[in-house]
Amino acid sequence: MWRTTVKGLMAHKLRLALTALAVVLGVGFIGGTYVLTDTINKSFDELFADTTQGVDVFVRSDTAFESQNASGSGDREAMPEEVLETVQGVDGVDTATGSVGGYAQLVDKEGEAIAPQGPPTLGFGYPDDETTENEDSAVTMRAGREPATSDEVMIDAATAEDHDFSVGDSVDVLFEGPKRTFEVVGIIGFGEADNLAGATLAVFELEAAQELFNKEGTLDSIEVTAEEDVSPGELRNRIATAVPDGIEAQTGDYIADEQSDSVQEALGFFNTALLVFGFISLFVGAFIIFNTFSIVVAQRTREFGLLRAMGASGRQILGSVLVESVIVGFLASLVGLVAGFGIAAGLQAMLRVFGLDLPSTGLVFEPRTAIIGLTVGVLVTLISAIGPARRASRISPMAALREASPQQATFSRKRLLVGASVTLIGAAILGAGLFVSLDNAVSYVGLGAAVIFFGVTALSPLFAEPLARAIGAPIQALLNVPGKLARQNSRRNPKRTASTAAALMIGLALVSMVSIFAASIKATSSRILDENLKADFIITSSAGGGFGGFSPEIAAGAAEQHEIGAVAAVRYGEFRLDGASRFLSATDPDTIEEVTSLGVVEGDVGDLDGGGVFLSTDVAESEALTVGDDLTMEFPADGKTDVPVDGIFETTDIVGSDFLVSLDTYAEQYTTNLDSVVLATVASGVSTDDARAAIDTATSDFPNVTVENQAEFKETQAGLVDQLLGLITALLALALVIALLGITNTLALSVFERTRELGLLRAVGMSRRQARSMIRWESVIIAVIGAVLGLVVGGVFGWALVTSLADEGISEFAVPTGQLIAYVVAAGAAGIVAAIPPARRAARLNVLEAIATE
Amino acid sequence: MQSVKEEAVPRPVQRIASRAVDVAKVYGAGSTAVRALDGVDMEFETGKYAAIMGPSGSGKSTLLQCLAGLDQVTSGVIYLGDVDVTSLNEKHRTMLRRDKIGFIFQSFNLIPSLTAKENITLPMDLARRKPDAEWLDGLLDIVGLKDRLRHHPSELSGGEQQRVAAARALASRPEIVFADEPTGNLDSKRGGEMLAFMRRAVKEFGQTIIMVTHDPIAASYSDQVVFLEDGKIVDLMEGPTVEKVLDRMKTLES
Repeated sequence: MWRTTVKGLMAHKLRLALTALAVVLGVGFIGGTYVLTDTINKSFDELFADTTQGVDVFVRSDTAFESQNASGSGDREAMPEEVLETVQGVDGVDTATGSVGGYAQLVDKEGEAIAPQGPPTLGFGYPDDETTENEDSAVTMRAGREPATSDEVMIDAATAEDHDFSVGDSVDVLFEGPKRTFEVVGIIGFGEADNLAGATLAVFELEAAQELFNKEGTLDSIEVTAEEDVSPGELRNRIATAVPDGIEAQTGDYIADEQSDSVQEALGFFNTALLVFGFISLFVGAFIIFNTFSIVVAQRTREFGLLRAMGASGRQILGSVLVESVIVGFLASLVGLVAGFGIAAGLQAMLRVFGLDLPSTGLVFEPRTAIIGLTVGVLVTLISAIGPARRASRISPMAALREASPQQATFSRKRLLVGASVTLIGAAILGAGLFVSLDNAVSYVGLGAAVIFFGVTALSPLFAEPLARAIGAPIQALLNVPGKLARQNSRRNPKRTASTAAALMIGLALVSMVSIFAASIKATSSRILDENLKADFIITSSAGGGFGGFSPEIAAGAAEQHEIGAVAAVRYGEFRLDGASRFLSATDPDTIEEVTSLGVVEGDVGDLDGGGVFLSTDVAESEALTVGDDLTMEFPADGKTDVPVDGIFETTDIVGSDFLVSLDTYAEQYTTNLDSVVLATVASGVSTDDARAAIDTATSDFPNVTVENQAEFKETQAGLVDQLLGLITALLALALVIALLGITNTLALSVFERTRELGLLRAVGMSRRQARSMIRWESVIIAVIGAVLGLVVGGVFGWALVTSLADEGISEFAVPTGQLIAYVVAAGAAGIVAAIPPARRAARLNVLEAIATE
Repeated sequence: MQSVKEEAVPRPVQRIASRAVDVAKVYGAGSTAVRALDGVDMEFETGKYAAIMGPSGSGKSTLLQCLAGLDQVTSGVIYLGDVDVTSLNEKHRTMLRRDKIGFIFQSFNLIPSLTAKENITLPMDLARRKPDAEWLDGLLDIVGLKDRLRHHPSELSGGEQQRVAAARALASRPEIVFADEPTGNLDSKRGGEMLAFMRRAVKEFGQTIIMVTHDPIAASYSDQVVFLEDGKIVDLMEGPTVEKVLDRMKTLES
């Protein structure tokens, strides 16, 4: 049996290759995801090990947790300068250097703010001549010297290179305070690396930095090196006992681990998100494998019958097909893992296009990647082959004697029943995930969707016939015989047509669901802005996606312009509620209601000046709080604090969170005070143009912000949604490619199966062109069936998703009709491409051999 | 030769429908080369029903396929009417088959997904030509399939399928019909009906038919039998009968 299996495999290399390709791509994507995230992890690990190199102990203030500020760096309270002397006095300390850090954004020579997508824009202050004094330090001086005066700066080599700065140039730098101009006196690198994980760096003289970051008389951290005979752990203990309460000492290794842990946590989500797309691809691939094995088993009916007649048992036939699937799965997974390297590089390039610039060194291949890739690849192939293998094992020895033509598939009542029940079960699981609050809602949604796909696939032969008839009608009218034959062929075996189309259905269902979701978000956001936003101008960070903070000077400057009416800034802060990370918004209580409606249900926003908090109706309900109660919020600086609830508001969308406090309250809890949004109105009696000119003047010093009117802002918001949609669609493209491969595969097998028929057609006068056209249009019909089914399923998914999120504020259900139609057209066009190889094969067929085929 | 003399005379119908001039067909090369056709010279007259006979491997099917432009000759020239088939490219040979030739094969003559009627008009539909309605109607009367036209091949008996194939071969009024063992898969009664129909087509419409067969009864329906052995024409027989053909075949096979 083993020999027959191997011989059978070798005899059908094309079939083998096409089946394998689906597995190769799926495993490749999964492998690629692991390779990419492992690579990023490793490069961060190395980076943090480098940056803490040569430092034995870090001293810093003790915080409840480290929050992220608007400029993308950690926010930690500063400590008094006196601590440095205390540390220096500890026995075993060789050197101790204090430093401060903060938001400092460089402006390039064209006047544009330099904004890396994701990584922070960091500023540091070090005492003169101490940065590179430590010989073990990773910091290397590339050119020039360290800043010695308050108008000198040292920048990282990557920024210098990218923006053409060299020693002696002057550079503008943006801070929380006003913009300042410095002279570049030095350029630094970090060993081999030109910068720190993509962050831009501006290093100032310590005293200058303290002033620039509003940290006079304080330090953010102290880097300590130990004397030779003292271990870092020992020294850490000694320092910890010496420093006052609220200050902690940690070893350099600890800090490196802490930093890479936080990166890994962030990457974990990213990894999972990418893996989801990998598994979707494999899921689609499973349909292709199932399909190929089904067709092949049908075509080999006679061969299996002969084997049975010669004494092979049903089990042996079953085993033979399953072994074939394992071999295919294993080989394909191996190739897939190799392809994973390419896919990792491709993903990286794609993410860069979408604005996520991640550092990387050489690609990292962990054994785990191989184990998961091979296991998943083999299992998916094996499971997909079980059904066809069982069918093969039931072929009777009599089949060897019968005419070999594959049987017409019939649609059984049983299939209808099973398909409908599976679909309903899937819908129930999906519904539970969406509408019932469960712990693991996302898993339920995913499982439900997968089950629905199986159910609809089982049902799809029912739709395939009428759909093929309908879609084929215009093609037949237009193309005469080739069109007619294309239409007839696609109807001939509805089961095969349907399961081929099903693979495409899955991809298109997901794409159209996401499109509907995106359109609904856009419609909702547009409506919310229309109904609530009173501001005429919206100022946001010009860094990618509107994320990132900017100086409060901008809001202050705008408020000074007499053409401008009310101005309110909004900034965000991270805090913890019952241990879970949440975000709060802070704004000016006196002006916020002039620039937007908050939908206040209870209380007076002006009361926020007293240090209280406004809660959204949702949070007030879930936390069972009313005005006058206290909410226990955990802040980075003060830890758990009871904050009085001053009021309840409905419209959370514009301020951006469920918790609203005053800017003063914010300043008490966070060290960095950067605005994320500034809303402003035109003063009464002033023309919009004049007001616009005024606000442009107010922001002229700050190239890191964008001023937009309502219409422009809306467009930008929609653009962000579209960008995300584009990213998801690009990731789903792999599943779509696999589905198209499935069409190619099915048609190739069909062409092989219909060799005689094609020969006859050619003999009686069908031209090669017509033969190609016939196959091409059959492909288009299959693809459009898949697209139409996908739109229907995706439409239902989209509707369910949007409906379930009504509570979260997505109140509009919008269907992007034009986009969906475009998908169907694109699917048809893709069908033409998928048909190229089988169509060519059909056209090249040797007429004589074809009609001589038994 | 007679034909050479008459070639200068213009006439609406070529007297010779199909002609092979010193045709050779060699499969393979070197020591393993097989000469399936070895210097075949033959003229098939218009309006005649010719049968090609010979033992298995004599090259009779190869000759038919070469005459029909399905296969290419190794050397020599094939004419269909006055067209040199051997000089045509694949595209033009396709056109030729579609417009001037009718085919009947031993089996699998019909496209399963098309109805009987659609199968019959297939070559003309492929050419986007309208069938001659009157002709088609008369043809269907003779074939006797008028009530089966909307059926698919799987719903027709073997005899009916071959008759549909015959109707298709004649429907476009081709210059010549090539039939490769058209009764090979039929019982003697159905086979007889089929042969009678083809005979009638020759007699009543002046259709030219060249048929390959190994069945002396089938051959007895023809006007002329060409005997082939080892790729060479070994005999011609005008006005064959079953007995005469049988006798000749015996000497060939011995």
